[in-house]
Amino acid sequence: MNRRVLFAIAILVWAVLPMVLPRHFTDLLVFAAIYSVAGLGVGLLLGHCGIVTLAQSAFYAIGAYASAIVTVNLKLPMIVGVAAGLVTSGVIALALGWPVLRLRGYFLAVATLALAMIASALFFEWDWLTGGTIGLGGIPKLGAFGVVLDTPQSFYYAAWITAALSMILVHNLVSGRTGLAMRSMRDAIDAARVLAIDIHSLRVQMFVLCAMLGSLSGSLFAHYTGYVSVASFSIDKAILFLLIPVIGGAGSIAGIIVGALFITFVPEVLSKIGDFHGIVFGLALVIVVIAAPHGIVGTVERWWHNRRSGVSPTAEARR
Amino acid sequence: MTLSLVAQAVLSGVTNGVIYALIGMGLAVIFKGSRAINAAQGEFSLIGAVASVFAMKAAGFSYPAAFAVGALAGAATGVLIDLLLVRPMIRRRAQEDAFLLLTIGIAFAISAAVLFFAGRDYFTLPSIGSDGVAILFDATIRYHAIWVIVITALIVIALRAFYRKTNIGLSMMAASIDADGASTTGINVDLMRTATYGMGGLLGALAGLLVAPLVPISFYMGLVFTLKGFCAAMIGGLTNPMGAIVGGLMLGLLESLAIVFIASAYKDVVALTVLIVIMILVPHGILGRAGRAGG
Repeated sequence: MNRRVLFAIAILVWAVLPMVLPRHFTDLLVFAAIYSVAGLGVGLLLGHCGIVTLAQSAFYAIGAYASAIVTVNLKLPMIVGVAAGLVTSGVIALALGWPVLRLRGYFLAVATLALAMIASALFFEWDWLTGGTIGLGGIPKLGAFGVVLDTPQSFYYAAWITAALSMILVHNLVSGRTGLAMRSMRDAIDAARVLAIDIHSLRVQMFVLCAMLGSLSGSLFAHYTGYVSVASFSIDKAILFLLIPVIGGAGSIAGIIVGALFITFVPEVLSKIGDFHGIVFGLALVIVVIAAPHGIVGTVERWWHNRRSGVSPTAEARR
Repeated sequence: MTLSLVAQAVLSGVTNGVIYALIGMGLAVIFKGSRAINAAQGEFSLIGAVASVFAMKAAGFSYPAAFAVGALAGAATGVLIDLLLVRPMIRRRAQEDAFLLLTIGIAFAISAAVLFFAGRDYFTLPSIGSDGVAILFDATIRYHAIWVIVITALIVIALRAFYRKTNIGLSMMAASIDADGASTTGINVDLMRTATYGMGGLLGALAGLLVAPLVPISFYMGLVFTLKGFCAAMIGGLTNPMGAIVGGLMLGLLESLAIVFIASAYKDVVALTVLIVIMILVPHGILGRAGRAGG
């Protein structure tokens, strides 16, 4: 079977799913789409620049708050809210990323964690703006030309199309010159310098793009749930967004989708035992890092590739 | 601004500062021993305090025995983390970001496990000594806080002696400074790293045991402890565990001054901002020497 047929079947399944699945599962799939946009940004930094960021929850929150404030308090159209979120998070990511991205490795990751914690403290304290723990409600549902996407089934298409467009954008970016520059920067930083790649500027650009994807994801979330509060933007969210590329695989679009499905469906499967999914998430992160450093999709791909080309898996592991 | 308010701020700053110092020392010990930042350092404090509370409440241990149980639980967790998780990673020659993700996963799993098995409660331990307060320069300090400062000072002296005088301490130092050289002289480098993680776990658990009578501990606090300890260690210089003392005291004082002059809500914001600024501007800390890995 050739790839085109496979792709057509995948699209068909995707389109039919919300019609056959129970409402509750469609709801989870919508969240998977929303989270995959934020996770895509984290995966871009992790997989192509070697940067571990934990600040994504902050930009996700900025997008959600921007959409909420613009549509509820200022009564402006939704697109203005989304744009306000993108601009705000882009500018903040630029202003903070410029000094902070001088750090490397552990120190950069800790700095982004500190940024996320500062942001969540500020969202809590600035309740005149964010509504604090009470939150902001009554955010209008997504809609245009008289069509309002007020059911999970209808929002499903909008959310996944947004996610797909973001993924195509990132895919094109990493397939081109920029992607090559990023990978050379990650794998051989001195060689990249010799080739006149402006490392710092490239890292800042990617950080800004990652932040804007986080913001877009937050805007989708605000319009889907209609309500935002600080409870949605804790550090747990930052770790969740990091889990998406780590578990699924940061190197590919399929990895991001698998990761997003993992973090939305695992809590559902485990909900009968109680708050058990946190332990599973933590252990999943530990196990993937030890046993499958390229994520689920990356590991399966390598295994498939090696099987077909006859390279023994141990030789691959030693590489 | 009265004098007593300043004195009060200084006393509470010093008390918090020595706790941060203990966590920071644990981080620095592990960093020195394995060149990895342990994002789960604050979880050792959580484990120490919770294990000790359960030893008292559920198993009916006396306070000193429960204290020992908590300290051992922290050390055992550290040893297990090295044996089960860090060892396979070292064998695979994993990169720095993989170690970071690993310890983030550990931190998340421990915090979630405490939530699942022990609930959302706040855990507190009885004070050492009596519950009363001492008056110093018109300001009050709990007797327990004085004990915290004294015990931390003793821990610091013991730790220094351990690394300078004992055979195993010297071997741990040697293994961390030059692993290949150490192994040619017959030092088991892997074992020394396990001991280092045990030591880090012990220090973290002691911090939790000492702070629990002052600030009740809950499942989500590990990460904040880690960051505060990291900040203390960064100010002092990450490769110098003793630097964390100076860093911790500075951070504690800065925080309590922020409470007096700004607002208590911004205490963490100030501390974390200081952390970021220090990392960028003074990457080796104010006492540290060069030799930090990771840029």
